[in-house]
Amino acid sequence: MRESVPPGRLGAAVSRTIAAATEVFRHPDATLVVVGTAVGYLLIYLYALGHIAPGLGGFDVTVVSGALGKFFKPELGPFSFTPVARVSVGPVTYLFSLNTVLGLGLAGLVGMNLGLTYLAWRQPAACGIGSSSSGFLASIPAVLSGTACCGPVVLIVLGIQASGIIVTAFQFLLPIAVVLLLGSLVLVGRQIDPARL
Amino acid sequence: MRSTRRRFVAVAGLSAFAGCTSVLDRGSEGEPATTAESSTTESASVNDEAVPTAEATLPLPMEPGELESLAVSGGPPKDGIPSIDEPSFVGPDNADFLDSGDPVFGVALNGAIKAYPQKILVRHEIVNDRLSDRSVAVTYCPLTGTVQGFERGETTFGVSGRLINNNLVMYDRATKAWWPQILATSIPGSWNSDPGTSSLREFRLVWTTWERWRELYPDTQVLSTETGFAKNYGSDPYGSYNPRGGYYANENMLFEPLEEDDRFGRKRVFMGARTADGAVAFDKSTLLEERIMTGELSGTPVVAVADRRLNTGYVYLNPDERTATTDGSTVQMGDSSYEPNALPLAGVHTFDAMWFAWHGYYPDTDVYA
Repeated sequence: MRESVPPGRLGAAVSRTIAAATEVFRHPDATLVVVGTAVGYLLIYLYALGHIAPGLGGFDVTVVSGALGKFFKPELGPFSFTPVARVSVGPVTYLFSLNTVLGLGLAGLVGMNLGLTYLAWRQPAACGIGSSSSGFLASIPAVLSGTACCGPVVLIVLGIQASGIIVTAFQFLLPIAVVLLLGSLVLVGRQIDPARL
Repeated sequence: MRSTRRRFVAVAGLSAFAGCTSVLDRGSEGEPATTAESSTTESASVNDEAVPTAEATLPLPMEPGELESLAVSGGPPKDGIPSIDEPSFVGPDNADFLDSGDPVFGVALNGAIKAYPQKILVRHEIVNDRLSDRSVAVTYCPLTGTVQGFERGETTFGVSGRLINNNLVMYDRATKAWWPQILATSIPGSWNSDPGTSSLREFRLVWTTWERWRELYPDTQVLSTETGFAKNYGSDPYGSYNPRGGYYANENMLFEPLEEDDRFGRKRVFMGARTADGAVAFDKSTLLEERIMTGELSGTPVVAVADRRLNTGYVYLNPDERTATTDGSTVQMGDSSYEPNALPLAGVHTFDAMWFAWHGYYPDTDVYA
């Protein structure tokens, strides 16, 4: 007979991750890693998606009519949504869509992963190399999910001949990225002891 | 900038596949593309005047049902690539988004003179428009390099999201039948299981450059970038035509062509023409060089003439094998001279197509290069 039930291993790891995540923002250098990584990732994601790209030039903002209704309308591929506004700033054109919101979420996860990895690395008596690099490794599929939104166009660039399977697989990239990012977040976060920072 | 982007996408995409192989292997390769929408099919015939069809039906490379089974999802869902249904136009002086060498698809018909820039159509593939009193669909498939005009009656055409032979499969919004663009003929599909087999009425669009079109038609109208969509018309996701690069210049394919053929490069441009009896193709660069070429379309003599004003060509049936010569601008037949697009012979609808696309659909085509 046990007198108290200890929290499950996962529950404990999550609690510790949340504590570590809070800790990230108490360290300016770790915060910088989070914000810098998130902004960088978002830009790369939008670039991979084609929502930041060279445009026709000029300075112009266009919002499509019925933007709200079109905001959730799928477009070129899985997790690719219809742009509802176009912003042209000189040579660069930015398209605003639900993907910017999705990208922000992913960017936040990638940023937190690297922020926690940074904290784990900074922590005295650091954890093993494998664990401290896992946040970085987990960020890779997240970056790839940006290309998933491009749909099979990416295959043309690669010169890979597509098949029904490959096209179908694209729809799994973003969910896989999210799961891996959350998993790695807990993996790194659970190894950080706020008391030792 | 473009090459940097490509490099990134290439590296990222390659890793993506490495990471997803285990998921992919459980898929179902070879299954025809289907979606939730496919569960409800109708069987409205395209012959009930909802879509104007031609008297003669063009040849298909196989049974319509077999073609349907070869349709694959190109990625986007139905109408994910949105047709332009309310096009607006600007005068040539306001088309400052076009460089002189940019490709445009021009038409001068029924008193209407219009140019549809490739850089806009690559994002929409279909423009439901009117040429004076005639309702038309201007269609473009980037993967096969084909531009074809169709009469559409009171309905409109949309992009189904499926590809056959890497070629756009359109659907009409009245009967929901599938219409592979190059074949221009209805086949069963996910939303209409028995539309019958009929061919669309076609009209010619000329693939030329903005500079050449404007010189010949200074009063032309140009499709505006104000399409009602937030698209970036300054960037082509597949490659570039000015100068030619990316998908348009290399041998890479998105999906396997219906038929492999190593006589010519896959993306080499041919001027193709087909009738109910068969098909013929003339290499475009050879035709532009030689100005006049002769050949056969399923045994019937044909003559192809170049129009160097627009860098294009026309194919005519020439059963009597009349002799055609040219002085460089006009074509002489007998004692008279004619513009290349107005010979006194039966013209066959002719359009540009990449070799793999033409040969994939018309494996028995006569070909001259």
